[in-house]
Amino acid sequence: MKEDLMDIICCPLDKHDLDLDVAERDDEEILSGTLTCTECGERFPIEDGIPNLLPPDMREEAPA
Amino acid sequence: MTEEGADEGTDSGRPALADQRGVETVYQPAEDSDLLARTAAERVTSGDRVLDVGTGSGYVAATLAEAGAEAVGVDLSPLACREAAENGLPVVRGDLVSPFHENSFDLVAFNPPYLPTPAEAEWDDWMEHALSGGEDGRRLVDPFLAAVSRVLAPGGEALLLVSSLTDPDAVRAYARENGLGSEVLATEKHPYEELVVLRFSEI
Repeated sequence: MKEDLMDIICCPLDKHDLDLDVAERDDEEILSGTLTCTECGERFPIEDGIPNLLPPDMREEAPA
Repeated sequence: MTEEGADEGTDSGRPALADQRGVETVYQPAEDSDLLARTAAERVTSGDRVLDVGTGSGYVAATLAEAGAEAVGVDLSPLACREAAENGLPVVRGDLVSPFHENSFDLVAFNPPYLPTPAEAEWDDWMEHALSGGEDGRRLVDPFLAAVSRVLAPGGEALLLVSSLTDPDAVRAYARENGLGSEVLATEKHPYEELVVLRFSEI
Protein backbone atom coordinates (compact mmCIF):
# COMPACT_ATOMS: atom_id res chain seq x y z
CA MET A 1 0.00 0.00 0.00
CA LYS A 2 1.03 3.56 -0.63
CA GLU A 3 1.43 5.69 2.46
CA ASP A 4 -1.26 8.19 1.40
CA LEU A 5 -3.85 5.47 1.98
CA MET A 6 -3.36 6.30 5.68
CA ASP A 7 -5.48 9.43 5.07
CA ILE A 8 -8.65 7.42 4.54
CA ILE A 9 -8.30 4.13 6.42
CA CYS A 10 -9.30 3.68 10.03
CA CYS A 11 -9.88 1.01 12.64
CA PRO A 12 -12.92 -0.99 11.42
CA LEU A 13 -14.05 -1.47 15.01
CA ASP A 14 -14.11 2.03 16.50
CA LYS A 15 -13.20 4.24 13.47
CA HIS A 16 -10.19 5.82 15.18
CA ASP A 17 -6.85 6.55 13.48
CA LEU A 18 -4.25 3.88 12.92
CA ASP A 19 -0.52 4.00 13.70
CA LEU A 20 1.67 2.65 10.92
CA ASP A 21 4.65 0.44 11.73
CA VAL A 22 6.58 -0.42 8.55
CA ALA A 23 8.48 -3.71 8.42
CA GLU A 24 9.40 -3.69 4.74
CA ARG A 25 9.03 -1.16 1.91
CA ASP A 26 10.28 -0.48 -1.59
CA ASP A 27 10.53 2.83 -3.47
CA GLU A 28 6.77 3.18 -3.86
CA GLU A 29 4.94 1.08 -1.34
CA ILE A 30 4.79 -0.42 2.10
CA LEU A 31 5.06 -4.17 1.58
CA SER A 32 4.61 -5.42 5.11
CA GLY A 33 4.01 -4.01 8.55
CA THR A 34 1.37 -3.46 11.17
CA LEU A 35 -1.45 -0.98 11.65
CA THR A 36 -2.40 -0.41 15.28
CA CYS A 37 -5.53 1.40 16.44
CA THR A 38 -4.66 4.47 18.48
CA GLU A 39 -7.76 3.92 20.60
CA CYS A 40 -8.43 0.21 21.15
CA GLY A 41 -4.94 -1.10 20.36
CA GLU A 42 -6.18 -3.75 17.92
CA ARG A 43 -3.43 -4.70 15.45
CA PHE A 44 -3.99 -5.23 11.72
CA PRO A 45 -1.37 -6.76 9.41
CA ILE A 46 -0.10 -5.43 6.09
CA GLU A 47 0.88 -8.45 3.99
CA ASP A 48 2.09 -8.49 0.37
CA GLY A 49 1.36 -4.76 0.30
CA ILE A 50 -2.30 -5.21 1.24
CA PRO A 51 -3.63 -3.95 4.57
CA ASN A 52 -5.98 -6.46 6.18
CA LEU A 53 -8.55 -4.35 8.00
CA LEU A 54 -11.10 -7.08 8.56
CA PRO A 55 -12.39 -7.24 12.10
CA PRO A 56 -10.44 -9.99 13.95
CA ASP A 57 -13.44 -12.35 13.97
CA MET A 58 -13.62 -12.22 10.14
CA ARG A 59 -9.96 -12.84 9.39
CA GLU A 60 -10.07 -16.58 8.66
CA GLU A 61 -9.17 -17.58 5.12
CA ALA A 62 -12.48 -19.40 4.52
CA PRO A 63 -15.55 -17.32 3.68
CA ALA A 64 -17.74 -16.92 6.75
CA MET B 1 -24.78 -13.31 -15.50
CA THR B 2 -27.70 -15.44 -14.45
CA GLU B 3 -27.54 -17.48 -17.60
CA GLU B 4 -23.97 -18.58 -17.10
CA GLY B 5 -24.89 -21.70 -15.24
CA ALA B 6 -27.75 -22.77 -17.48
CA ASP B 7 -25.76 -25.18 -19.60
CA GLU B 8 -23.97 -26.71 -16.64
CA GLY B 9 -27.07 -28.70 -15.83
CA THR B 10 -27.50 -28.32 -12.09
CA ASP B 11 -30.89 -28.05 -10.41
CA SER B 12 -30.12 -24.59 -9.08
CA GLY B 13 -29.48 -23.29 -12.59
CA ARG B 14 -25.95 -22.37 -11.60
CA PRO B 15 -22.68 -24.26 -12.00
CA ALA B 16 -21.92 -26.81 -9.34
CA LEU B 17 -19.39 -25.44 -6.91
CA ALA B 18 -17.04 -28.29 -7.70
CA ASP B 19 -17.04 -27.22 -11.34
CA GLN B 20 -15.94 -23.75 -10.40
CA ARG B 21 -13.39 -24.65 -7.78
CA GLY B 22 -9.92 -24.19 -9.18
CA VAL B 23 -11.32 -22.54 -12.29
CA GLU B 24 -12.45 -19.12 -11.16
CA THR B 25 -12.16 -17.97 -7.58
CA VAL B 26 -12.49 -14.22 -8.17
CA TYR B 27 -15.59 -12.83 -9.87
CA GLN B 28 -14.61 -11.55 -13.29
CA PRO B 29 -16.22 -8.49 -14.87
CA ALA B 30 -19.47 -9.15 -16.72
CA GLU B 31 -22.41 -7.05 -17.96
CA ASP B 32 -23.24 -5.90 -14.44
CA SER B 33 -19.76 -4.59 -13.63
CA ASP B 34 -19.60 -2.95 -17.04
CA LEU B 35 -22.92 -1.12 -16.63
CA LEU B 36 -21.92 0.12 -13.18
CA ALA B 37 -18.46 1.18 -14.36
CA ARG B 38 -19.81 3.06 -17.39
CA THR B 39 -22.50 4.80 -15.37
CA ALA B 40 -20.11 5.79 -12.57
CA ALA B 41 -17.35 6.93 -14.94
CA GLU B 42 -19.70 9.57 -16.40
CA ARG B 43 -20.16 11.06 -12.94
CA VAL B 44 -16.60 11.45 -11.70
CA THR B 45 -14.33 14.39 -12.33
CA SER B 46 -10.58 14.49 -12.09
CA GLY B 47 -9.32 14.13 -8.55
CA ASP B 48 -12.56 12.74 -7.09
CA ARG B 49 -11.91 10.18 -4.39
CA VAL B 50 -13.91 7.03 -5.09
CA LEU B 51 -14.33 3.64 -3.45
CA ASP B 52 -15.20 0.42 -5.26
CA VAL B 53 -16.78 -1.94 -2.73
CA GLY B 54 -16.42 -5.65 -3.49
CA THR B 55 -13.89 -4.71 -6.13
CA GLY B 56 -13.19 -8.29 -7.27
CA SER B 57 -10.71 -8.10 -10.12
CA GLY B 58 -10.71 -4.31 -9.76
CA TYR B 59 -12.60 -3.61 -12.98
CA VAL B 60 -14.88 -0.81 -11.75
CA ALA B 61 -12.08 0.86 -9.80
CA ALA B 62 -9.77 0.71 -12.82
CA THR B 63 -12.44 2.25 -15.06
CA LEU B 64 -12.94 5.11 -12.59
CA ALA B 65 -9.17 5.61 -12.31
CA GLU B 66 -9.03 5.92 -16.10
CA ALA B 67 -11.74 8.58 -15.83
CA GLY B 68 -9.42 10.59 -13.57
CA ALA B 69 -10.61 9.58 -10.12
CA GLU B 70 -8.43 8.50 -7.25
CA ALA B 71 -9.92 5.03 -6.92
CA VAL B 72 -9.52 2.59 -4.05
CA GLY B 73 -10.91 -0.93 -3.91
CA VAL B 74 -12.05 -2.96 -0.92
CA ASP B 75 -12.90 -6.65 -0.86
CA LEU B 76 -13.51 -9.37 1.70
CA SER B 77 -11.73 -12.01 -0.37
CA PRO B 78 -7.93 -12.25 -0.09
CA LEU B 79 -7.87 -13.65 -3.63
CA ALA B 80 -9.75 -10.66 -5.00
CA CYS B 81 -7.48 -8.25 -3.10
CA ARG B 82 -4.41 -9.90 -4.59
CA GLU B 83 -5.82 -9.74 -8.12
CA ALA B 84 -6.86 -6.10 -7.81
CA ALA B 85 -3.43 -5.21 -6.40
CA GLU B 86 -1.74 -7.03 -9.29
CA ASN B 87 -3.85 -4.87 -11.60
CA GLY B 88 -2.19 -1.85 -10.01
CA LEU B 89 -5.04 -0.64 -7.79
CA PRO B 90 -4.83 0.56 -4.22
CA VAL B 91 -6.78 -2.09 -2.33
CA VAL B 92 -7.78 -2.80 1.25
CA ARG B 93 -9.05 -6.10 2.61
CA GLY B 94 -12.12 -5.24 4.62
CA ASP B 95 -15.85 -5.57 5.22
CA LEU B 96 -17.85 -3.12 3.07
CA VAL B 97 -17.03 0.47 4.10
CA SER B 98 -16.02 -0.32 7.70
CA PRO B 99 -12.24 0.40 7.38
CA PHE B 100 -12.65 3.94 6.01
CA HIS B 101 -12.90 7.31 7.74
CA GLU B 102 -16.06 9.37 7.59
CA ASN B 103 -16.44 11.86 4.70
CA SER B 104 -13.74 10.11 2.67
CA PHE B 105 -15.37 9.60 -0.73
CA ASP B 106 -17.14 11.62 -3.40
CA LEU B 107 -18.53 8.43 -4.90
CA VAL B 108 -18.89 4.87 -3.64
CA ALA B 109 -19.73 2.14 -6.17
CA PHE B 110 -20.91 -1.36 -5.24
CA ASN B 111 -21.71 -4.31 -7.47
CA PRO B 112 -22.88 -6.65 -4.72
CA PRO B 113 -23.65 -10.34 -4.75
CA TYR B 114 -27.35 -9.99 -5.56
CA LEU B 115 -28.63 -13.36 -6.74
CA PRO B 116 -31.31 -14.73 -4.42
CA THR B 117 -30.07 -18.12 -3.28
CA PRO B 118 -31.66 -20.85 -1.16
CA ALA B 119 -29.99 -21.06 2.23
CA GLU B 120 -28.88 -24.66 1.79
CA ALA B 121 -26.92 -23.74 -1.36
CA GLU B 122 -24.56 -21.30 0.28
CA TRP B 123 -21.18 -20.82 1.85
CA ASP B 124 -18.75 -23.12 0.22
CA ASP B 125 -16.12 -21.03 -1.46
CA TRP B 126 -15.10 -17.51 -2.37
CA MET B 127 -16.93 -17.56 -5.70
CA GLU B 128 -20.13 -18.54 -3.93
CA HIS B 129 -19.60 -15.59 -1.63
CA ALA B 130 -19.11 -13.30 -4.63
CA LEU B 131 -22.38 -14.37 -6.26
CA SER B 132 -24.87 -15.17 -3.54
CA GLY B 133 -27.06 -12.47 -2.11
CA GLY B 134 -28.84 -14.69 0.40
CA GLU B 135 -32.50 -15.69 0.28
CA ASP B 136 -33.76 -12.23 -0.75
CA GLY B 137 -30.62 -11.21 -2.68
CA ARG B 138 -29.97 -8.38 -0.23
CA ARG B 139 -27.57 -10.06 2.23
CA LEU B 140 -24.91 -7.38 1.64
CA VAL B 141 -27.07 -4.69 0.02
CA ASP B 142 -28.88 -3.83 3.27
CA PRO B 143 -25.73 -3.57 5.46
CA PHE B 144 -24.11 -1.46 2.76
CA LEU B 145 -27.03 0.98 2.66
CA ALA B 146 -27.06 1.18 6.45
CA ALA B 147 -23.35 2.07 6.56
CA VAL B 148 -22.45 4.02 3.43
CA SER B 149 -23.57 7.52 4.51
CA ARG B 150 -20.76 7.70 7.05
CA VAL B 151 -18.00 7.56 4.43
CA LEU B 152 -19.62 9.88 1.86
CA ALA B 153 -18.18 13.38 1.62
CA PRO B 154 -20.74 16.22 1.70
CA GLY B 155 -22.66 16.01 -1.59
CA GLY B 156 -21.28 12.53 -2.19
CA GLU B 157 -23.24 9.68 -3.74
CA ALA B 158 -23.40 5.90 -3.69
CA LEU B 159 -24.06 3.91 -6.88
CA LEU B 160 -25.42 0.41 -6.46
CA LEU B 161 -25.96 -2.22 -9.13
CA VAL B 162 -28.96 -4.43 -8.51
CA SER B 163 -31.08 -6.77 -10.61
CA SER B 164 -34.82 -6.99 -11.08
CA LEU B 165 -34.36 -10.31 -9.23
CA THR B 166 -33.30 -8.32 -6.16
CA ASP B 167 -36.47 -6.17 -5.97
CA PRO B 168 -35.08 -2.66 -6.54
CA ASP B 169 -38.18 -1.07 -4.97
CA ALA B 170 -37.53 -2.89 -1.70
CA VAL B 171 -33.89 -1.80 -1.86
CA ARG B 172 -34.94 1.83 -2.30
CA ALA B 173 -37.47 1.60 0.54
CA TYR B 174 -34.81 0.23 2.88
CA ALA B 175 -32.44 3.03 1.85
CA ARG B 176 -35.08 5.64 2.63
CA GLU B 177 -35.43 4.19 6.14
CA ASN B 178 -31.70 4.87 6.45
CA GLY B 179 -31.96 8.49 5.33
CA LEU B 180 -30.98 7.98 1.72
CA GLY B 181 -32.94 9.28 -1.25
CA SER B 182 -32.60 7.38 -4.49
CA GLU B 183 -33.06 7.55 -8.24
CA VAL B 184 -32.59 5.18 -11.16
CA LEU B 185 -29.57 6.19 -13.24
CA ALA B 186 -29.42 3.37 -15.78
CA THR B 187 -31.18 0.16 -16.76
CA GLU B 188 -30.20 -2.65 -19.09
CA LYS B 189 -32.35 -5.59 -20.12
CA HIS B 190 -30.95 -9.11 -20.22
CA PRO B 191 -32.67 -12.42 -20.97
CA TYR B 192 -33.50 -13.30 -17.35
CA GLU B 193 -33.31 -9.99 -15.55
CA GLU B 194 -33.02 -6.26 -15.83
CA LEU B 195 -29.90 -4.65 -14.38
CA VAL B 196 -30.46 -1.35 -12.58
CA VAL B 197 -27.99 1.24 -11.33
CA LEU B 198 -29.42 3.11 -8.36
CA ARG B 199 -28.00 6.37 -7.04
CA PHE B 200 -28.28 7.15 -3.33
CA SER B 201 -27.56 10.38 -1.51
CA GLU B 202 -28.46 11.81 1.86
CA ILE B 203 -31.93 13.35 1.99
